[in-house]
Amino acid sequence: MKKLLSAVLSMILITTLFVGCGSKTNKNAKELEINKDKVLRVWSFTDELKKPLEYFEKKYGIKTELTIIPTENYASKIQPVLESGVGAPDVFTAEIAWVKQWIDLPYWENLSEDPYNADEWEKDYVPYVFNLGKDSNGNVKALSWQATPGGFIYKRWIARKVWGNDDPAFVGEKLSSMENFFKAAEELKKAGYKIVPDEGAIRWFAKGSDPKPWVNEKNELQLTQAQIDFMDYQKKLRENEYTAMAPEWSPAWFASMQGPVPFNAGWDKLDKVKSDKKVEVFGYVMPTWGLHYVIKPNAKDTAGDWGLTSGPSPYFWGGTWIGVYSGSDNKGAAWEFVKMMTHDEEFLNWWYQETGDLLSYKPVTDKVKDTASDKFLKGQNHYQFFLKEAEKINPNIVTKYDQGIDNIWGNVVSEYVNGKKTKEQAINEFYKQVKNAYPEIITPLDKQ
Amino acid sequence: MNSRNKYGYLFISPFFIVFSIFGIYPIFLSLYMSFTDYKGIGSPFKANWVGLQQYLRLASDKYFLQAFVNTWKIWGVNIILQLSLALILAILFSDIRLKLKGLSLFRAIFYLPNLMTVSSVALLFLYILDWQHGALNGLLLKYGFISKPVNWLGEPITAQLSVSLIQTWLWFGHTFIIIFAGIQGISKDYFEAAMIDGANRWQTFFKVTLPLLKPIMIYVVITSLIGGLQLFEIPFLISQNGLGGPEGSLVTMVLYLYNQAFKYHNFGYASAVAYGLFLIILIFSMIVFKGMFKEEV
Amino acid sequence: MDKRNIIKWLIYAALTLLAAACLLPFAMMIINSTRSNTEIVRGFTLIPGKSLIENYKNMMYHMDVSDGIFKGIWLGYKNSFIIASSVTILSAYFSALTAYGFYAYEFKGKKLLFIIILIMMMIPSQLSLLGFFELNKALKTLDSYIPLIVPSIATPFTVFFMRQYLISSMHPAVIEAARIDGAGELSIFHKIILPMMLPAIATMSIFTFIGAWNSYIVPLVVIFSPEKYPLPVLMGYLKGGKVAENLGSMYLAISMSVAPIIIAFMFLSKYIISSISAGSVKE
Repeated sequence: MKKLLSAVLSMILITTLFVGCGSKTNKNAKELEINKDKVLRVWSFTDELKKPLEYFEKKYGIKTELTIIPTENYASKIQPVLESGVGAPDVFTAEIAWVKQWIDLPYWENLSEDPYNADEWEKDYVPYVFNLGKDSNGNVKALSWQATPGGFIYKRWIARKVWGNDDPAFVGEKLSSMENFFKAAEELKKAGYKIVPDEGAIRWFAKGSDPKPWVNEKNELQLTQAQIDFMDYQKKLRENEYTAMAPEWSPAWFASMQGPVPFNAGWDKLDKVKSDKKVEVFGYVMPTWGLHYVIKPNAKDTAGDWGLTSGPSPYFWGGTWIGVYSGSDNKGAAWEFVKMMTHDEEFLNWWYQETGDLLSYKPVTDKVKDTASDKFLKGQNHYQFFLKEAEKINPNIVTKYDQGIDNIWGNVVSEYVNGKKTKEQAINEFYKQVKNAYPEIITPLDKQ
Repeated sequence: MNSRNKYGYLFISPFFIVFSIFGIYPIFLSLYMSFTDYKGIGSPFKANWVGLQQYLRLASDKYFLQAFVNTWKIWGVNIILQLSLALILAILFSDIRLKLKGLSLFRAIFYLPNLMTVSSVALLFLYILDWQHGALNGLLLKYGFISKPVNWLGEPITAQLSVSLIQTWLWFGHTFIIIFAGIQGISKDYFEAAMIDGANRWQTFFKVTLPLLKPIMIYVVITSLIGGLQLFEIPFLISQNGLGGPEGSLVTMVLYLYNQAFKYHNFGYASAVAYGLFLIILIFSMIVFKGMFKEEV
Repeated sequence: MDKRNIIKWLIYAALTLLAAACLLPFAMMIINSTRSNTEIVRGFTLIPGKSLIENYKNMMYHMDVSDGIFKGIWLGYKNSFIIASSVTILSAYFSALTAYGFYAYEFKGKKLLFIIILIMMMIPSQLSLLGFFELNKALKTLDSYIPLIVPSIATPFTVFFMRQYLISSMHPAVIEAARIDGAGELSIFHKIILPMMLPAIATMSIFTFIGAWNSYIVPLVVIFSPEKYPLPVLMGYLKGGKVAENLGSMYLAISMSVAPIIIAFMFLSKYIISSISAGSVKE
């Protein structure tokens, strides 16, 4: 028995020694081994990485495998995988809403350290994009190839018909403040158009007009006056029938990009509206990716007659960050892919040609920004527009609670808009629900 | 003890080994977690011990109370409809004077929904009940039953009613089969005796059939209660983002548990919710059991 | 026609109406599977459309390309079938074994152990859900079929049912006779008892299989990779994906997901219904 025990103990000793040695030599070498026989496993929440991975396979001769889990369930599916390490990917992406949640957890490899040394790249990126990939100690954990400022994407032919002018600068002026926005909405309504698909569309302007994080460093919930003002703006949109009542991501919403949609409101107030009436939506409050991945594929017939301009306030929405999983046993290839995706001029140039997406990598954006033009937008230079908007982005307003709190806020505002709750009730309900979901957040109700 | 009898242990040991690991241990682990502030990151054994704090929170949580009320409303409407429909059908088909034909066909049709994958059923009704493009509004509008579309899933009352009706649709056939079998099991002597005594159809039903069906009715109500209080799939899939809207009217107790754990990562609190749910099921099953037997004693 | 006949016909009419209402959702589902998105958006009609093949292609394309469910809905069938059949076989075999262990032998603690089984039948599965998840996290068995399949070795209700069956339809003399012939205990179980229990096993297996085929919350919680999703979880995921942008494709996916069960029911309905009737009266 004793013999067995000592044998086991010495075995354990030897293995730990071995492991210890292994990691040491690895560090000294400061180099990652790239194993070409291993399949590189990537997890993401859209099919966006499909083409880059094909490109990567060709360039490096490494096989890859992409797992896609649609946004709604991505976080709840990947987090346990990252926690347990079983079946975990080598590379995974995060939408802005999850970046803050995961960045201080040991999921992503620290890219500030050897052998990655991503700190040196800081000057190459649009500042806010690089900053959002840092954890609370300033270590780089994730990188991104894109910047995602927002705009107002509209149908030019409607602008011509209503105002006789479809120029982005002219339309931008029409929407330059909420007051003007409502004037424009009224003019559009008289001509039979709806300025936005639904009330929630303007929520981004609320955030943009007074950019503050939902939760401050003292862990207190902050509801800005701008958010409260926008409750009334949303209600005004509803009451004056300025929207097509096509909720974001619903089939009706997608259909409204293609052409008129049925406007058969179910609410009693709108009794007078004939159920077979059709309405057409003027424009969408969407960022860079919304233009390329949402509107373009759903508006093929009208390509070339769309415009891009700014709304009442600048905002940003979404964005994808990418990093190496800390538990990966294929970090060499993983890092190569992250590097290619975010810091490879040749690839990023190709990616720009392929998609027109707004990149965050300055060596490429500097080169293309003066000559860029988008056929879908009637040749408009979307790059210059979006880059200018990107400068206005303040990354400090992003918190790890954003997705949850945005959802809760959206729900109570729509209850207010639907007349189910008064403003005070809605705000009170908002505080209570936030507290219920995140007990650690201090709400104004706690102070009473 | 006979030496052969050691085989008893051998035969039941696979069951009890697996059962201890996957059946019993998780129940105690849930219990342990309910005394911590575990957030789903790392290990529950490294989380802080908070004593009864999660249970105190549960006792004063108005959202859990709302979930409790919602669950009961949805179940209550469903069980009343389901039971009365099933009873009427069972009585019609077992009436010797009527001699209805087509029992097996009707029974199969009524039962069919019960076998459907519940997540598919939820999706199906999500699209059928959609107020803009849903088939139901389309049909009702076309034949003039309504003049404007009804936002079935957009208003708390109609949303809850919709879920109750879906549950009824899923289960009344099953209940019908059970009650019908119960009536068939009653000895003919009782009915003949009632007929000789000059009882009419209603008297026979209330004085003879119903009392004799009591054990089966208790079985139906209790199993439906246990299932109904655990309602999850349909509200989860039929509401936006699985949050149980509109206005939280479709948040059931299990949906609340799921969202606290897997959406907000409050594993400790969600475990307390699980125990609260268990306690509620236990208490109400006993009340139903006692209440329905009391009259007899 | 006398009064009784009129009543009878009224009852038939009501029953037919109820049956029609019962089948209406299925009709809507099947009809809309054949119509295009634009047709569906315009309103409902009972006349089928011509877009079935187009809907199918669009559904498969989007599952594969955008929603990460490579090979589309057929993969869901395969996964569900693997899970449900493994669960059914394990549950049938080990439940019979356990039930027989309780039936044929006397041993210390037998009563207590059986009471534990009875109690566990009553405990709702949600009570253990979070602990079960954490356990599998610690065992590193998440995102595999182990947490879906292995626990079916211990299904209290099936054990209970099979023990009742043994008590009511088995004679101890059969076992004694086999022992006198010199058969070992295990071979008695395999060669004599198991075949005799087939009716009970068949009944339970149908319900176990359907239950496993339809189960949702546990696979939802423990399976992460889309290529491993069983059908119900896969269906739930479609809601947030690209397939859902085309209503026709979505209706078709729903139809396809319930088709195997409808077909199976056509063949087994009599058997299933009589099993339910029998089961309920006994309890």
